[in-house]
Amino acid sequence: MRKAIFRDMGACVNCKACIIACKVKHMSYPYAGLSKLAKPKGRNLINVYQSGPEIRGDRVYQSFVSIACMHCEEAPCIRVCPMSAIYKHTQTGITLVDRGKCIGCKVCLWVCPYGAPSFDEAGKLVLCDLCIDRLNESKKAACEAACPAAAIFVGTPEEVAELQAKKAVQRIERGIIT
Amino acid sequence: MSGKKVIQTTCKSCHGGCGVLVTVENGLITYIEGNPKSPMRGTMCAKGLASIQHINHPGRLVYPMKRVGNRGEGRWQRISWNEALDAVANKIKGYIEKYGANSVAIGQGTGRGYNRYTVRLLNSIGTGHALGPAYICFFPWLLTSKLTVGNKLFCDYHGWGGEFPKTQISWGRQLEINNADGEMAVWFLDSLRHAKNLILVDPRATAIANRANLWLQVRPGTDAALALGMLNVIINEGIYDKEFVSSWTHGFDKLVARIQEYPPEKVAEITWVPKEKIIRAARMFALDTPGCIQVGEPPVASSNSTQTLRAILCLIAVTGNIERPGGMVDWVPPDTGPMEDFGTEIRAPRENLKSAIGADTFRLPIGRCHPDTVLRQLREGNCIIKMLHQSGGNPLFSLPNSENVRKALLNLEFISVAEQFMSPFAELADVVLPVAHWLEEDAIWDEHARFMIGAVNKVVEPPGETWPIAKIFNEIGRRVAPQHWFDSVEEMLDYELKKANIKWTEFKELGFLARTGQEQRYYKYKTDYYGKEGGFPTPTRKVELYSTVLEKLGYDPLPYYAEPSESPYSTPELAKEYPLILNTGGRIPFYFHSQYTNLPWVRELQPYPRVQIHPDTAKKYGIAEGDWVWIESPRGRIKQKANLFAGMDPRIIVVQNSWFYPEKPGPEHGFMVSNANVLTSDEGPFDPACGSVNLRALLCKIYKVEGNDDA
Repeated sequence: MRKAIFRDMGACVNCKACIIACKVKHMSYPYAGLSKLAKPKGRNLINVYQSGPEIRGDRVYQSFVSIACMHCEEAPCIRVCPMSAIYKHTQTGITLVDRGKCIGCKVCLWVCPYGAPSFDEAGKLVLCDLCIDRLNESKKAACEAACPAAAIFVGTPEEVAELQAKKAVQRIERGIIT
Repeated sequence: MSGKKVIQTTCKSCHGGCGVLVTVENGLITYIEGNPKSPMRGTMCAKGLASIQHINHPGRLVYPMKRVGNRGEGRWQRISWNEALDAVANKIKGYIEKYGANSVAIGQGTGRGYNRYTVRLLNSIGTGHALGPAYICFFPWLLTSKLTVGNKLFCDYHGWGGEFPKTQISWGRQLEINNADGEMAVWFLDSLRHAKNLILVDPRATAIANRANLWLQVRPGTDAALALGMLNVIINEGIYDKEFVSSWTHGFDKLVARIQEYPPEKVAEITWVPKEKIIRAARMFALDTPGCIQVGEPPVASSNSTQTLRAILCLIAVTGNIERPGGMVDWVPPDTGPMEDFGTEIRAPRENLKSAIGADTFRLPIGRCHPDTVLRQLREGNCIIKMLHQSGGNPLFSLPNSENVRKALLNLEFISVAEQFMSPFAELADVVLPVAHWLEEDAIWDEHARFMIGAVNKVVEPPGETWPIAKIFNEIGRRVAPQHWFDSVEEMLDYELKKANIKWTEFKELGFLARTGQEQRYYKYKTDYYGKEGGFPTPTRKVELYSTVLEKLGYDPLPYYAEPSESPYSTPELAKEYPLILNTGGRIPFYFHSQYTNLPWVRELQPYPRVQIHPDTAKKYGIAEGDWVWIESPRGRIKQKANLFAGMDPRIIVVQNSWFYPEKPGPEHGFMVSNANVLTSDEGPFDPACGSVNLRALLCKIYKVEGNDDA
């Protein structure tokens, strides 16, 4: 079953639970040591970005969105990778990385429209894998499970579409335009 | 332990309460996530998830220690638990014998699921001196809620009575990023799916501003005026709940007279909120019912907290939102009864409560001392309190005027602190007791007696000789008042659960006890729930819009507005030198007060404190995003990094609270560098009834830090 990810920019509250949930899932956790405090290191697989606030008349334009690999069907990173280190999981369409093949050239970063690629200490590509092992166990992805705002949803494209439509109906019913 | 197992427990990384599943392999935690079967449906925050870095932190205190050098010099010696506990107990007994029970203060920080042990220890030794930040935190809401409706009110986000809140007001709260005061972020956010209106009362565009259909950009410190203005509209337009008001409230006619002093035009001038928006908000809340109001700290950390909260409670009452499904409800606790009874079932002698420092001046929190008065007396060297035993908390960050707080604490003869790390406050102690993390203890989690309690199950062994906080309380208790304490912690936990007819070993399997769905009750005042005569548990058996209790205590029985102690209007001369309004309430979702800046995973997300400045203001002062900025008040100055933020009035700046630098050398750990309470005043004026102090609406000036690139 193809998987799609939906990130609700109107719902995210910028709490950053998704980032730490992702670290728990994907990073080993030996304690990093006090000397590393206050010095930001490499990027996370998932990051929260802010737009706004901008105030126009009575409206506040401000949104947050957590961004990780979007698992594009026609992923430009797969097309440009000179080592064919990036590939698609056949059933789900999840974009995966063969770390052994990656040479750390970072061309994937040139073409990713979301700026999603992150690189580990060896400079090799690491990507969100949508917690494929959890999905196989019928669990939610770590970020989706943690999110208190229900701003992350992983499902089939049909399920994402249905979720969006339901939200639209609610908005129309309540007369709220967001 | 060997093999792989999943243990169910309850998080206490903030006030706590979220259900957690922890995977343990060969005695080591390999995974942590929310429990999908808990009432929080598996969600967890950054703080709770980062706990696996907390428990493995090399800076953990792992042995009891005593001071060997001068106080605050940072020289310590490892001692045994017996020596440490005997030292604390002998000091308590010695001072009681020499000066009476009130010479001993027992303190804690914010509620972390052990309030009841602090209270039991206080009462079992008979002192009236509970030292802590409650008076500028949730306590005034509990007090005023009790005055007005006789119990505690929580937002009904759950729909158990068939309705969800249709109109919600987020009043200076940011519940979307916290789990404070009996509510949970996830409950609030889920309930928004059912809401028609969301009104945001906040000087800033918070994360939910884009979802709010009305944003009242209130001037800091003027919340009471706004609530009274809304009452004015609702009452004068006759859109209040007439049936509820006539049958179940006391003093409506007097409230009607009072609110005439607050027409929307005048309120607009005071609050900077346009008149039209005040009217719209009032109509929305009165007409689109049911509704609820989440009330945050700003109305409390004010020198007019009692009347501000009373005004908001009157707003909830006249719109008929009390005990109504989707409104505000006093939850029926699980079969255990309110867990806090464990603390209050024994009582300190009445005369000790009455003679607690400040209790004669601030008469509402009956029998509670006033921290600012205590600290002033300590500084002046004429205080009856000789020692403080404190569990968690950090008065250097939570109480106003940090420099004065330190001076006062240094004048105590003895300080013992139960802590997990050598915090700037623990550095001032004589004896330090190492405390286990919630992943390392068996405990019952409870906070503010709502509808549920949770089982905290030990997942891994605590490091070194650390002990659960419950055991530390019990062992001190056994030494100073054995008749009130227990042979073991398990016996104590069994005792706390006895009303539910359940043992700790059964409860720990169950995970939590919650009274939800059909088992919860609404409209309790129409039954005999609060007594045979029905009604509310107040002196008039009604909701007291006009408070007979305040009247008896000699305070104004009706809500009113008072201008903040420091503002462009109340102190215009001062405002010439300090032209900006200073709000010290900036919160960070992945830190909890002064905790967790030592955890690399979350520290990476925001390494330094940030002061929010409007871009226009920043430009005026030549400040760019990321610059270090001095923020100076008449009390002192701190520096934080500029965060240009257009979502507020250019006349306001917002600094983040409770910053220190655990990576900096002790004993100070840089606690005076960026700590917001360096800027706040401990001199009052205080709220006349409960003694709270203005922390959210002061005056300041800002200027760029020259030539310094570091904290």
